[in-house]
Amino acid sequence: MTTTRRAILHGAALSALAPSMSWAFDKDGDRKILVFSGNQAVPVLDPHVRYDWSTRMIQQSVYDGLLKYVGNPPRIIPWLAEKYEASPDGLTYTFHLVGNAKFHNGDPVDAEAVRYSFERALKLNAGVAWMLKDFLKPEKITAVDAKTVRFVLERPFQPFISYVPWWYIVNPKQVQANVVDGDYGKKWLTENEAGSGPFKLKRFDSTALIHMDAVPDYWKGWPMGDKNRLSGVIYRIVREAAPRRAGLQRREMDVVTNMSPDDMQQLAKLPGVRAEDHPGSTTFGIKFNCQTGPTADINLRKAIAYAFDYEALITIHNGGAKLMDSPFPPTMEGHIPVPGIPRKDVAKAKEFLAKTKTPSGGIELEYVHVQGLEDARRIGLVLLDSLRTLDIKLNIVGQPWPTMVARGSKPDTAANMTSVYVTPIGTDPDTVAFQYHRDSWGLYYGMSHYEDKEAWAMIAEARGLTDKARRMALYGEIQKRIVADQPEIFGMIPNRTWAMRDYVKGFEFSPVRFTGEVDLYPMWIDA
Amino acid sequence: MLVYLLRRIALAGLMLFGLVCLTFAIANVAPSDPAALAAGPDAGRSQIEQVRREYGLDRPLPEQFVRYVGDLVQGEFGRSVATGRSVGRDLARYFPATLELCLVAMAFGMLAGISLGMLSALFKDRWLDHAMRIFAVSGIALPPFWFGLLLQLGFAAWLGWLPTSGRIGVSTDPGDPITGLLLVDSLLRGNGPLFVQCLSYIALPALVLSLPCLASILRVNRSEMVEALRADYITAARAHGVSRWRLVTVHALKNAMLPTLAIIGLRWGWMMSSTVLVETVFDWPGIGLYAVSSAIAGDFKPVMGVTLIIGLNFMLVNLVVDLLYGVLDPRLRHA
Repeated sequence: MTTTRRAILHGAALSALAPSMSWAFDKDGDRKILVFSGNQAVPVLDPHVRYDWSTRMIQQSVYDGLLKYVGNPPRIIPWLAEKYEASPDGLTYTFHLVGNAKFHNGDPVDAEAVRYSFERALKLNAGVAWMLKDFLKPEKITAVDAKTVRFVLERPFQPFISYVPWWYIVNPKQVQANVVDGDYGKKWLTENEAGSGPFKLKRFDSTALIHMDAVPDYWKGWPMGDKNRLSGVIYRIVREAAPRRAGLQRREMDVVTNMSPDDMQQLAKLPGVRAEDHPGSTTFGIKFNCQTGPTADINLRKAIAYAFDYEALITIHNGGAKLMDSPFPPTMEGHIPVPGIPRKDVAKAKEFLAKTKTPSGGIELEYVHVQGLEDARRIGLVLLDSLRTLDIKLNIVGQPWPTMVARGSKPDTAANMTSVYVTPIGTDPDTVAFQYHRDSWGLYYGMSHYEDKEAWAMIAEARGLTDKARRMALYGEIQKRIVADQPEIFGMIPNRTWAMRDYVKGFEFSPVRFTGEVDLYPMWIDA
Repeated sequence: MLVYLLRRIALAGLMLFGLVCLTFAIANVAPSDPAALAAGPDAGRSQIEQVRREYGLDRPLPEQFVRYVGDLVQGEFGRSVATGRSVGRDLARYFPATLELCLVAMAFGMLAGISLGMLSALFKDRWLDHAMRIFAVSGIALPPFWFGLLLQLGFAAWLGWLPTSGRIGVSTDPGDPITGLLLVDSLLRGNGPLFVQCLSYIALPALVLSLPCLASILRVNRSEMVEALRADYITAARAHGVSRWRLVTVHALKNAMLPTLAIIGLRWGWMMSSTVLVETVFDWPGIGLYAVSSAIAGDFKPVMGVTLIIGLNFMLVNLVVDLLYGVLDPRLRHA
């Protein structure tokens, strides 16, 4: 009798809970909602104020740019602009807009909207502004007619086109209607949108979830056909990997990212789960402090670079990584495999060490990594082990990202070695080369405080060269020169990974996107 | 009593000011540059300086402190460097979620802790008592972070009975808040399925949050009940033929409740600070998660705001407990 009563209670409890559980993809009528989960919040939605992988993924969904990055290798395709032309001197760019694009409130996307958006971004001087602010002044942007917009640069800047896809177009009327104290609508656009993208904002909770509805009559149409398009997408912020993993397992989530290599291996074995694993363009390097301390000596830097066990980098990623053969990732235009880039060679390491002030080692160096990044910590252990052969001790320190960046911003406070992942913002070689320029000191990728005036001059010259062949040849030289100076241990390029239910279709990888970021526009659910 | 109350309030004010000084000092001693972080990883010097100016971070520290205290006096907690939003508004937005979680956890912890403590005392030195004592020690010793992940794995991933994280289903519209407590709001609207859904989401985080509280209450209540049941007045009551149920629940429990009340007060304070861990594991959108997200972003104003709220909560609870002491124990009232 007791057992029966307990069973009834148990059954009643479960049946009461069952309707509230999401056992499969979420639905809105006949259409499905894709639930994507990552660990990073979206603090600010304004496309001219901030970007990082999660923020840009949402921005890309609600806004459109003149051009767009797609595919692997990444290509730039026309989007709001159906075509563009550049003057032979590389100073003037003219964009011709499509005629049918409209904002979510029905207003047409015209040349004035484009002019206003670029002007707004430049005047706010935040987020994407750094890309163009030294080369483009707001008064040099002209709406020639409703469908034509012209940009006149201050001086030739070849990376210009590679940055344009990240400059999203906002509706000036909506923004201006929400200006407070001349803030260009900054406060309002933090949690609202004024875009023309394939999705519109339904719910925005920067720390928990962002819910977007698909725009049924999106001006560009839907690649999977209207019948199969989603009802919307939910980006769910789940900080810990374990709940994301559990969420995918029980179909609370359809796509998850930011999983460790071990988690990915486990998830890929589950029925109904597919792992997407692609060589990316994010480089992992261990930046030496080239200005102060023992690593200011190039011979010590070379010694460490030759002592390091590079193969361990691949092992740590369960094979999901590729060693760097240049400071540039292979997806970058102008990349060349630099001959003689260091690989483990203890004899050579000792040879270089002999040329330093401490020829037999006996020193202690500091290696700093981002606290909580397990891979970076394990790489520190590999380095510790590698340096034993040179009798160099290593102090491995995990620090929060803000602390690490603040320390690394000045040569006097930067650690001897700091491990950093860097994702290039575009496909133009300047995006990586400029990391080694004097103007990058103080930024997270400039923590090596690399100094080579000739290399700096070459980098500055290459930005403005309109002769492509000459420009690429110069980048070849720049890569060789940087490798010769060894401002960092050129590590590896880890694969980008996502785990998703097998009913998720339309996923398109593009290495130019940040870690975890995907283009949600072509995705749909086939179930 | 009034003088005592006023003295306690003045003392709480002083402690709060001390807390403001301490959190401000810690936030500014940390080797981090919030302006650089807010400007973004690729931002140049001019962009970083612009953010610094916009948020007054370029001003001398004493000036920044005076401005911050001035804001606090006006009920403002400053602006988040990462989002530009008012920290006060953010706190008002996230606090109901934390309050709801803590109330449910405390209700469960009190109910289970007092009941199990009583049972443990009644069956002193028998197997049930031993089991309860082991449970109590484990409850205090288990790290909430680890325990939370374990429960997620068991109840969400393996059994599939409860959701993994969050406060409500991702595509569920909770409607405009009435009290901000979803369980209460769903009841006020007469929305049964929403109430059940909210209950399913809060179950695991509340259980994890309540465990140390439950274990502490159990331990204290057990030992106080053991003492009370040995007391002469209980023997006298028993001799007068008072029923066992009345003896335990009215006579013994009332006297055992005084120290239990103190531990409940203390645990309420601790519970709110524990939400930082529990909310992170379960992605519960409360002030704990807000503090963690902000700390990761090097955004100190929200962290300082949450610390002040938690500190204020500690002080208020202690004050209330001290006043309740007087209500429960007439000797203290007249002292």
